[in-house]
Amino acid sequence: MSILLSLFLKLSALSLVAFGGVNALLPVLLNLAVNQEHWIDLQTFSDYFAIAQAAPGPNFMTVTLLGWHVYGAIGACVATLAIAWPSSILIFYLQRLLLGIKDPQKKQSIQYAAAALAIGLVLSSAWQIALQINHGVAAYALTLATIAFTLFMRWHPLYFIVLGAVLGLFGFI
Amino acid sequence: MSGFGGVLPWARRTLVERDKILTSEEFSAILGICQIVPGPNIVNLAVCVGSRFAGAKGAFASVMGLTLGPICLVMFLAVLYDHYSYLDSAKGILRGISAVGVGLIASTGFKMLRDEFRYPAMLLVVIITILAICYFHLGLGWVVLIVSPLALFLAWKKAHKA
Repeated sequence: MSILLSLFLKLSALSLVAFGGVNALLPVLLNLAVNQEHWIDLQTFSDYFAIAQAAPGPNFMTVTLLGWHVYGAIGACVATLAIAWPSSILIFYLQRLLLGIKDPQKKQSIQYAAAALAIGLVLSSAWQIALQINHGVAAYALTLATIAFTLFMRWHPLYFIVLGAVLGLFGFI
Repeated sequence: MSGFGGVLPWARRTLVERDKILTSEEFSAILGICQIVPGPNIVNLAVCVGSRFAGAKGAFASVMGLTLGPICLVMFLAVLYDHYSYLDSAKGILRGISAVGVGLIASTGFKMLRDEFRYPAMLLVVIITILAICYFHLGLGWVVLIVSPLALFLAWKKAHKA
């Protein structure tokens, strides 16, 4: 029971710093779950990350899988609830305030600031996660190729995921 | 549930183009807000859209509708994982996908970064954020507290310049 409570409290605390969504949070989540709380080992975390990326659905699914690993179906629900409730309550009350700002420059300032912050967090997250879960030159090459191709071509992300799966299946990664 | 590669494009298609619940401008305005506030973006979106039509109850209902499906799907996948993760081929597939997944996350960051070059001073915010996290290893809460005053100041100047 105490592990459920700790899962709930620790993930709830992360919810309010998740600027840029759950993806920006992944390294912190990894550090918490793998190094501090020993809920899960690094390999399983990376595998869950891969499953969440490949499956259709929102990107908080890594958190749901982590909850599953800790405490089955109840853990999955508790983890998802924990990552979502603080920010949900925040935006419930903030949205009217923010939509009500009439001065367009004020509104834009807030949006620009949040965007810049989110970019920094998301890029840092990608870097730190890559250091943890990419093993070997081939994995980094695949990551870099994905970045290059998605930036310059408008392919659907699913193609890259399939490509990664095929390369992995034949033992290249 | 049909949200391969994120649910946002799909949410837009359903809410704006098919069901005409929101106009395109309303959707963009709401999405803008959801990206300001921390937390899972798609849950934030569900809270905003749901509460618009039925207050707190609507917000709760739309969050539940959005999360229950993925939770069930994920548990199904987790069971599959428990059965097959010992296979070398499964391990290889997951390694390949996670390398791509990291690239996809980085690429969303870089795509947003392109817009910042129109006002290069904002890049300072991005650089400081990355240094604070990757080099000085500060906690996320601290980074947000330290960087946001500068971010707001520069954003204010950017908005007044345009």
